[in-house]
Formats: sequence, C-alpha cells, structure tokens
Amino acid sequence: MTQRDRAVRIARWGGVVTGLAILGLAGVYVRALVYTPVEATQGAAQKIFYVHVPAAWGALLAISVTGVLSIFYLWLKDRRIDLAAAASAEVGVAFGLVMLTTGPIWGKPIWGTWWTWDARLTSTLFLFLLFVGYLVLRDVLTDPGIRARFSSVIGILGLILVPFIHLTVYLFRTLHPAPIVLKPSAPSLPKVMLVTLLSSVAVFSLLYLGFLMQRYALGLLRELREEALASAQ
Amino acid sequence: MPPADPVIIAEGISRRFAYRPVLVDVSLTLETGEALLLVGPNGAGKTTLLRVLAGLLYPSTGHVDRRVPLGMVAHDAMLYPALTARENLRFFARLHGVNGTRVETLLELVGLMHRADDRVGTFSRGMLQRIAIARALLHEPRLLLFDEPLSGLDPAATRTLVQLLTDLRQRGTAMIIVSHQLEQLRGVGTHIARLARGRLGPKDPLAGRDPVAVFTELMREDG
Amino acid sequence: MRALLRAAWHIAVKDVAIEWRTKTAFASGLVFAVLVLAVLFFSRDPTAVASSDIAPGALWVTFTFAAMLGLNRAFLLERELHGLDGILLTPAPRAAIFWGKFAANLVFVGAIEAISLPLFVVFYDVPIWVRFGELVLVIAMATVAFVAVGTLLSAMAVRTRYAELMLPLLLLPFLVPPLVGGVQLTARLLEGRPLSDLSGWLKLIAAFDLAFVSLSATLFHVVVDE
Repeated sequence: MTQRDRAVRIARWGGVVTGLAILGLAGVYVRALVYTPVEATQGAAQKIFYVHVPAAWGALLAISVTGVLSIFYLWLKDRRIDLAAAASAEVGVAFGLVMLTTGPIWGKPIWGTWWTWDARLTSTLFLFLLFVGYLVLRDVLTDPGIRARFSSVIGILGLILVPFIHLTVYLFRTLHPAPIVLKPSAPSLPKVMLVTLLSSVAVFSLLYLGFLMQRYALGLLRELREEALASAQ
Repeated sequence: MPPADPVIIAEGISRRFAYRPVLVDVSLTLETGEALLLVGPNGAGKTTLLRVLAGLLYPSTGHVDRRVPLGMVAHDAMLYPALTARENLRFFARLHGVNGTRVETLLELVGLMHRADDRVGTFSRGMLQRIAIARALLHEPRLLLFDEPLSGLDPAATRTLVQLLTDLRQRGTAMIIVSHQLEQLRGVGTHIARLARGRLGPKDPLAGRDPVAVFTELMREDG
Repeated sequence: MRALLRAAWHIAVKDVAIEWRTKTAFASGLVFAVLVLAVLFFSRDPTAVASSDIAPGALWVTFTFAAMLGLNRAFLLERELHGLDGILLTPAPRAAIFWGKFAANLVFVGAIEAISLPLFVVFYDVPIWVRFGELVLVIAMATVAFVAVGTLLSAMAVRTRYAELMLPLLLLPFLVPPLVGGVQLTARLLEGRPLSDLSGWLKLIAAFDLAFVSLSATLFHVVVDE
C-alpha cells in the first residue's frame, strides 16, 4: 500500500468518525435542550454552556496535542508527526473560535456585557492568537523542513505557556465561573446536567478526532502532490 | 597510489528546497592536496552542495564526514558592515581561538592593510571578497570551499588569489572551487567534476589537461 | 562550558559594538519609548482617571514595545552580509550564539529601560524611589523573560519574509505573564507596599524566567540550523 493509499484511507475513516460525532452532537443537543432542566438562576442562556465548555475542552486538547507532537517531531524528525501537529493546531483554532464566540453570547445575558476583560477569557484569547500565529508562520515558510522545525518550537513553547497563563489567571482577580467539573471535591453540577455536559465533551472529542484525521490526511496528500509535481519538473 | 587521506567524505547527499530536489544522491570524497573544480550550469545545486559540505545546511538525506577544519568563501562575505576590516577579522579570529598576529598577517596577504580600519560596509565587492578570503583562512583550514572566488576581483587581485590558491594547494590544502572562470584557474585545479540538475558527475583528474578543454568536453557529452 | 561562555561573550561584545557604532536601532527604540509614554498619558479622561492610575500599565507597554522593536535588530544585523554563517563556520558552540544574543539584547533593552524610567517619573509624577530597589528587580526579572523568548523567536522571524510582522505576532502571547505580573507588581510597589505582599507574582515571573530561558536556550539550535 502506498503512502497515498494510506492517506486516503485515513481520510475515509476520519469521515466516518466525523459522521458519528455529528450524530452524537445532534443527540447531545436534543438532550440539552429537551431533557436537561433549565438552570434556575441563569435560565435558558445556560444551555450554551454545553457547547462552550466542550469547545474549550476541544481547543485545549488540540493545542496540547500539537505541543506534544512538536516534541516528538524534534526528536524523531518524521514529517508525518509535523503534519499531524499542524492538523491538530488548525482544528484547535476552529474550536477556539467556537469557544470565543459562544462565550460572549453567554456573557451578554449573564454578565450583562459581551466581552469582559476577564483574565481567563483574555488568556484563552492569547492562546488562540498564538496558534493563529503558528498557522501564519507555517504559511509564510515555504521549505517543509524549516516549517516543521520552526512550528515545533512554537508548539512546544505554547504547551509550556498554558500553565503560566493559568497561573496568571489565578493571580488576577477574575469574574469567570470557577471550574465546576474538575474540582477536587465532588462536582457541584446537578447529575443530569453533568451527564449532558460530559456526553457533550465526549462528542466534541470524537469530533476533534474526526477532523484531525481528515485534516492530517489532506495535509499528507498535499505534501505528496507537491513533491510529485516538483520532482516531475 | 599514495595512501588515502580524505579530508571530507560525503555520502548520498540529497537536499530539497520547498519540495524541489536540488541535490540528488551526491557522493564525494576529497583527499589532501586535491583541488576540485566544480562546474555546472546556474541552478545546478553548486552553492547548495558547498553549504551542505560546510555544515551550513542539513542534507535531507545522507551524511557528511568532515575530518579537518574547513574554511569557506561564499557569495556573501559573512562579515559585519558596521565593523572595520580588522574588527571583523579579530572577531572571527577570537571565535576560532586564533591570536591577533594572524589577523595582521592576513590583512597583509590580501593587500588590505591600508584599509584595515575602514568599515567593511564602505568596501567594494572585490575588497569584500578579499576580506572574506582572509576570514576563511584565519584558522589555517586544511579544506577550503570557494563559491565563485574570482567574482568582483580585478585582474591584479585575481592573479594574487590564484597564486595564493596554488601555494595553499601545494602545501596540501584541499579545496573545492565553484567557478565559471576556468581559464584563470588553470594552475590551481587537480580535478574537475560537473554538477547538473543536482547530480554530481565523476571526479575527473585533470592530469595536466587544460580545465577549459575538459569542461568543453564535458558540455559536449551532455549534448 | 568555558568555551561556550567565551564565545558568547565575544558575540555579545561584537553586537554591542555594532549597535554602539550605528545607534540607529537604539535611537529609534528610545524615541519610540518616549513617544509611547507620552501618547499613553493622553489615553484617558483626565477628569476621571489620574495619570498615576495608568502609570504602571504605560510603563510596561512602553517596555514591551521598545523591546520588540529592538529584538529583530539582533538577527537583522546578521543578515546583511550573512555574518551568522561566518559564526556557524567557527567551532563556537551554537548555544553561544543564543547566549551572546541574549546578553546583547539585555544590554539593549536594559539601556532603553534605564533611560525611559526617569522620563516615566517626569511624565507621570510617580514616586518610584519609595521601593526603588524592588522595582528595579521586578523590571530586571520581566526583562529577562521578554528577551529570552524574544531572542529565540526573532531568530525565527528574521528567516521569514515578514520579520517585523511575525515577531510581535508570535511574541506577544508569551509576554502576557511577565507583562501582567510587571504591571501588578509595579502598581503595588508605587503604592509603597513591600514585595513580601506580592510573592505570588514574583514567583510567577521567576518561574517563567527559569522555564523560558532554559527552553529558549535548548531550542535555539533548532532555529539556526538550516
């Protein structure tokens, strides 16, 4: 089986995973809107929570995967790792965009303002922008070897930056609701809401995987084509 | 056959730039005292090959074994325009762990003592080239890589450099010279090889033949 | 180790000498800093906000921008006649290039900061001497953070077609922790509170310095090799 065939197969499976995720997404929405009770103080606006939090999760997952893959790239120098890291960054930026749009939509009715310069929001924005920078950098570098190495550096630095940004958030006074699920004590969300949230997170993870596989296969196919074209000249 | 004493061994070097293969499976061994004239059309990969051999570029595949210190004169002078000729040479001398008297010797050798305290940024192309040659010779390398060393030099400077290269070669310094001015390099080269479309032809001993004639021959073979 | 330090020292001295001779980057960095300080003074409603309220922010925005302006310089001067290749051809360890550039950038940014600080006092009428030693410490710590990441990223940025655009794009996210920390610490110090009240921010910047100086030094060779 050639590399091209393998890439095509990954793209196909990625499509299947994405399809399943979209079905799951439909299910989660029905559950969130119909079967999960309306939150007492926040009202219907709280429903966006089931998109916002999983999108944030997806973005963070994607960015962490990019960081870890960047380390592996510098170690093993296999271009497939670099392509996977780039694919993950791109999916992460898409999820980040969802997170950054749903946040203000929730914020308007609850905080009374679209955007607050709340530290967590701000720092997420910076992280998002860093990965936009990562993609821009990839775009302006034409040599695949240099592109892979330079973007790995950004990926690794970004990974290390995440905890620092969180610490900055912690030290800065913040409006943002404190973490609700991953708290040392028992989760403070009612069980029915928690189940909805967690299944949404699971669906978004699946969606991430499906996107990642397709984007990776696409990147690989593009590389193979560029190479074939350049060699044919 | 004298005992083999290679100064550099390159094996299976390939290099791509933005997907385009620039070097394809190049292998090359150079012995002490050999001066290889590297010829080929523009865009054949000559500069890339020199940079890979020097360690300034990583090969995409393949391996370079550098066994002696090397010096290089490339298209760019590898200097700082805001510093004077002497300051530039002193800086690189320090990084090489070479003392200041060597700098004075080389300034004398390339005939730029009278401009030693002028900023390199004010120099003409030919003078930059001479300082670059001095820089490359600072640590008395046993392998020299030249990319068009005669470009920008006037006839007098050309003669001086050719004489210098001949002397160095006779003292055992190996060199690879990329040049289109083969007639001037008659006395320098011991071997000739042709690089075309990233592929290196055989290293052909000149054995007293005229490099210009051999080059014409090589071109004819290509059709 | 000694070879590394010696080579780094030579590279730093060379960079400072070049800057000393041309002074273009330094002069423009300085003028830029003064401009930012002056313009930010007017970026408020004078009837509602006292200049001392925005002073810490103005100071750190000035430092950040001035640093950013200076950082590309370090590798741009290597590009003119490809001096960096000349260094790479010597036996100097590649890490020496990082440390040399890092030191020269510290001198450059530090000098701009040293000159803007008195101007800051003049413009904003803030009592920096109340906790002067501590303030200098905070500035030094945050500057190390800026310059470490900046040295690494500018080495990458100059290799792209849009160096002046790429550096701020890549660098600013990394400046968030030291910048926010610097502003918070400066605000408290200007109020005369002791550093012991502020150990959280101080620890954050110290940890950032430690993490990013070592990371930048480690990753630097990835960026200079072609």
